[in-house]
Amino acid sequence: MEVTLLIQAADESFRLLENARGQAVELLNTAVKLTSDTRSVEERKLQAFLSSGQDAKSAFQNFVATFVMLFAFWALLSGKFDLFHLSLGFICTFIISYLSHDLLFANVRIGDIRVIVQRFIIYMPWLMYQIVTANLHVAYLALSPKMPIDPQVMKFKTKLESDISWVTLANSITLTPGTITMDIEDGEFIVHALSQKVADDLDTGEMEDRVAHVFMEADHIYIQDVLDVARIFGEMRRAA
Amino acid sequence: MIFRKDDIIVNTISRILIPFIQLYALYVIMHGHYSPGGGFQGGVILGASMVLLLLTRGYDEARYKFPEQIATLLSSVGVLIYAGIGLLCLFVLGNFLDYGKLAALLHVAPAHARSLGILGVEIGVGFAVMSVMYSIFLDISTGGILPEDEEE
Amino acid sequence: MNGFLLTVGLILCFLVFLVLYRVVFGPGVFNRIAAISAVGTKTLIILLIMGYLYNRVEMFVDISMVYALLNFIGCIAAAKYLEMGKE
Repeated sequence: MEVTLLIQAADESFRLLENARGQAVELLNTAVKLTSDTRSVEERKLQAFLSSGQDAKSAFQNFVATFVMLFAFWALLSGKFDLFHLSLGFICTFIISYLSHDLLFANVRIGDIRVIVQRFIIYMPWLMYQIVTANLHVAYLALSPKMPIDPQVMKFKTKLESDISWVTLANSITLTPGTITMDIEDGEFIVHALSQKVADDLDTGEMEDRVAHVFMEADHIYIQDVLDVARIFGEMRRAA
Repeated sequence: MIFRKDDIIVNTISRILIPFIQLYALYVIMHGHYSPGGGFQGGVILGASMVLLLLTRGYDEARYKFPEQIATLLSSVGVLIYAGIGLLCLFVLGNFLDYGKLAALLHVAPAHARSLGILGVEIGVGFAVMSVMYSIFLDISTGGILPEDEEE
Repeated sequence: MNGFLLTVGLILCFLVFLVLYRVVFGPGVFNRIAAISAVGTKTLIILLIMGYLYNRVEMFVDISMVYALLNFIGCIAAAKYLEMGKE
């Protein structure tokens, strides 16, 4: 008698669990469909905004930006500012910016460039200070008789997004004596460090924060994540 | 055959540096009078920038940007400019490559005409050297075997 | 100033000879390539010091920049060739 009751109770509980599992799977599917729907709608809007005649316009913007930068470089190199040499410079810069205007800037936004250049000029003295201190440490390591080095390879992921900031971080790491960037694989840096102190200096992530500040990145990601998750929570609460 | 490799650091730095290298090469050509440089040196630097393009972008994309036929054409155009200026001096009843006689055509003083004549000759030499450097590198790296020949 | 720069130039020349040891005896070709690159960077500074000592810095700056570019391109070309394994 009790066995039958027990079996019935177990059956009932299994059915309830099955129902709960079905409901949870349905909720998850709804959430996934909603996020993918909104994302595809947003992507379509972005696509329509970007491709509305942006190609010719962005090519022209790239051309003008390349032209200005190259002409400033020419004026810096050649100290003669008479009409003949300036017109020669104009022709040469025009030919080069016409032939390779897609090489220098991928997508240029004029207001951003000024801020980035300004912040980059402020970043350089800090980098030189780091180079000097690391140089003294490596010189001490190399010149002491028992040479207490401890070579290690470390991997870490960064929060930077664009190509140029990756390359700036890799170059800053390589310029600082004691660390060399070996490779960048799918957004993961592989760095070889000479001793534990230099590796610890790199682990604090201060250089990465400063490079992110220079290129104005990694300061809007968290808001976007919160917005995505808030939509899912709202839908689940409404479905329940 | 050089294939494009997905190496972020080298590709990005080459992408940024190539216009500056080319501008520096043209600066060296144009200022041959006042500082070390001239036609041949500028042509070598231009050729080196094309070689950098080939190394980092791979064979197909470099061939799309700067095909071999245009390289051959440009080398002949360079020699044409050089010999053409010489012949032009012949037509104005001077000797071959006697730039002073060009002053009558350009309405400037003879010394200035000589300076302009040498500048033109240097530009021709620059074109020729650039295309020959690029052609030699392409020839050595592909072994003279083009993909069209391999497909047969 | 001239004496100071002359001393610095001579010390750099001595350091170049130290690096040449790696070029000659480096086991394998990668050591030799890295050592040639290091020699290239020291050559730049020695050229600039020579330019300052001859009082014509602007001329030697041109030459140093050319050598810097060619050093970079040469290092990349050698690395690409070695990566492909002689094909």
